[in-house]
Amino acid sequence: MIIWQFTEQAYYPAFREPGAMRITLPQQRCDPVEAGRLLNRYLDEYMLADELGLNIMVNEHHAAATCMSTSCLTTLAILARQTQRARLLALGIPLANRANPLRVAEEIAMVDALSGGRLEVGLVKGAAYELFMSNRQPTGFMERFWEAHDLLLAAMTNQGDPFSWAGKHFHYRTASLWPRPIQQPHPPLWMTASSAASARGYGKLGYTCATFLSGAVARSVFSGYREGYVEAFGHPPGLDRLAYLAVIACAGDRETAFRRAEAMKSYFTTAARVDPQFRNPWGFSPVEANVRMLQAGPAAMRPRMRNGKPLPVDGSIEDYMDAGLMFVGTPDDVYEQLARFNEETGGFGNLLMMGQAGELDHADTVDNLTLVAREVAPRLLNLPDRPLDVRYEAVG
Amino acid sequence: MVTDGLEELDFGTLSAFDLRGTPIELFTAGEGAPLLFLHGMDGLEGAAALLRVLAKDFKVFAPSHPGFGGSERPGDLDRVDDLGYFYLDLMDRLDLRQPIVVGSSFGGWVAAEILTKAPERAARLILLSPLGLPTADRREARVADIFMLPRAELDTRLGRSALAPADLSDERLRRAMRNDEALSLYGWTPYMHNPKLAGRLHRIACPTLIAWGAADALVAPAYRAVFAAALPDADTLLVEEAGHRLHADQPGEIAARIAAFAAR
Repeated sequence: MIIWQFTEQAYYPAFREPGAMRITLPQQRCDPVEAGRLLNRYLDEYMLADELGLNIMVNEHHAAATCMSTSCLTTLAILARQTQRARLLALGIPLANRANPLRVAEEIAMVDALSGGRLEVGLVKGAAYELFMSNRQPTGFMERFWEAHDLLLAAMTNQGDPFSWAGKHFHYRTASLWPRPIQQPHPPLWMTASSAASARGYGKLGYTCATFLSGAVARSVFSGYREGYVEAFGHPPGLDRLAYLAVIACAGDRETAFRRAEAMKSYFTTAARVDPQFRNPWGFSPVEANVRMLQAGPAAMRPRMRNGKPLPVDGSIEDYMDAGLMFVGTPDDVYEQLARFNEETGGFGNLLMMGQAGELDHADTVDNLTLVAREVAPRLLNLPDRPLDVRYEAVG
Repeated sequence: MVTDGLEELDFGTLSAFDLRGTPIELFTAGEGAPLLFLHGMDGLEGAAALLRVLAKDFKVFAPSHPGFGGSERPGDLDRVDDLGYFYLDLMDRLDLRQPIVVGSSFGGWVAAEILTKAPERAARLILLSPLGLPTADRREARVADIFMLPRAELDTRLGRSALAPADLSDERLRRAMRNDEALSLYGWTPYMHNPKLAGRLHRIACPTLIAWGAADALVAPAYRAVFAAALPDADTLLVEEAGHRLHADQPGEIAARIAAFAAR
């Protein structure tokens, strides 16, 4: 298992005021000088991750205090030049919210060229509420996503003359990437899943599949992926195809680790602060999915603890650990918790580590990253690996 | 397609027919001059109270728009402009040569799209709180954004009760979710209007009655004035003690006004 450092780059001074953290949050609560200071601090921490031998993941959101990165590829353009070794993962680019996917392809090619071929590209559906900022059509969302995906692939892999594109959603008279990506045929692609059904589709494509903060559901996601992969390629995928995202709070002693975890927990409590009418824009989810959601009620989508109960948003650190969303303690503790979770989920090769989250300050983040990189990462490289066919299981 | 279980429509016939490959749900009731009713955001079932009174004077034809209720939608039909042509086909199929056309809210927009394309196809046009014209001028909104409002506030502004999933059948929930999805398809952006419509409204030649609820909590007075001014031959009516859903708030008075206007 290898590790990718990730932070949402929150403007956490805004957390103290009550109210929504997204969409309707008033702009005067942002001090742009403080925002700039924090953005530079998070970039410093990413550069430290590179020095420590960790890889790097960035994301993006819009109109949110919880995430100031408004463009994965803008952030990675900086890190492409300021880091030396780390793989640089954009996870991800909300492709169907972008008006111009050819522009996305150009930015991918430019960052790949700048970084010497270290870019990895996640193409994501994105959070439903992002539609209020992009104002792209909610209906037909995935059809548009896949056309943009096909166009992006065509642009990245084109070796010859410029081409034209006349699709349902996108039209280009001439497409040609200058520069073109260093990595051929294209930088590695990632997608995200929270169900076995969607993971199975990504398995068939062979893209790396990540699941975020999904706890026990990760096992069925990974199983679905393996099933799709075997179907398409005739052999099981390597562990490097699978990724899990969680919060890691590590320290020399447990008391400090739990204190860090408390500072990071505001990631969870603030991420949930969005007015309910924005969570599921009309026309975004299929009708049948909406009917099922209405019948199941709001708790159905929450991750579960080991006793089967939904994890409360304001749950304790122990609750979050129990559900597999946080891994907290000394390097030995964190290693043991991760090894157990790895075994329970059938194994994954990429830990997407929120090594900074919520209000965790710079000094604590530096120590957290350093301990994980020096004392946990080397042991995760050599996790006991039982053969895939033993733990492979079909899912419904 | 399931079309049963709408007990509020027990005074007529709910059926389905195939229009050029698309199953369309149609409610018919009453006897008299033909009247085509085009429903609003609350779907065919939301208009039951008005249809019940109209059926005393008219032969009412009330389809569910493609994508709403129990009607399917051709895959390439995604604009209200397209619905205009779709309804001309539907009127040909039902032999509605020159009916009274009534459209409420979203359905008023649909009616305007039909009759700007074929002005001769209506004897009279009645628009109840119609949408379809630009809903804002840059930062100045003239129609509240239904997609941004909290559900409870939207229900209050529309004068309707909240959806109660626990009390509703799968089929009822499915209809409600299909109505929401179709409104998003046709009305998300540009928000609830066709930028081309204003320049076409002069083509509507038949006598037109345009009615608003005095307590409409979606549509601002400035918007209402623009709509009336764009129609060549329109009477306007402001209905007291009614909000945006005139068809639900004052069904008796609206039906009487429609009958009187049709007989003029």
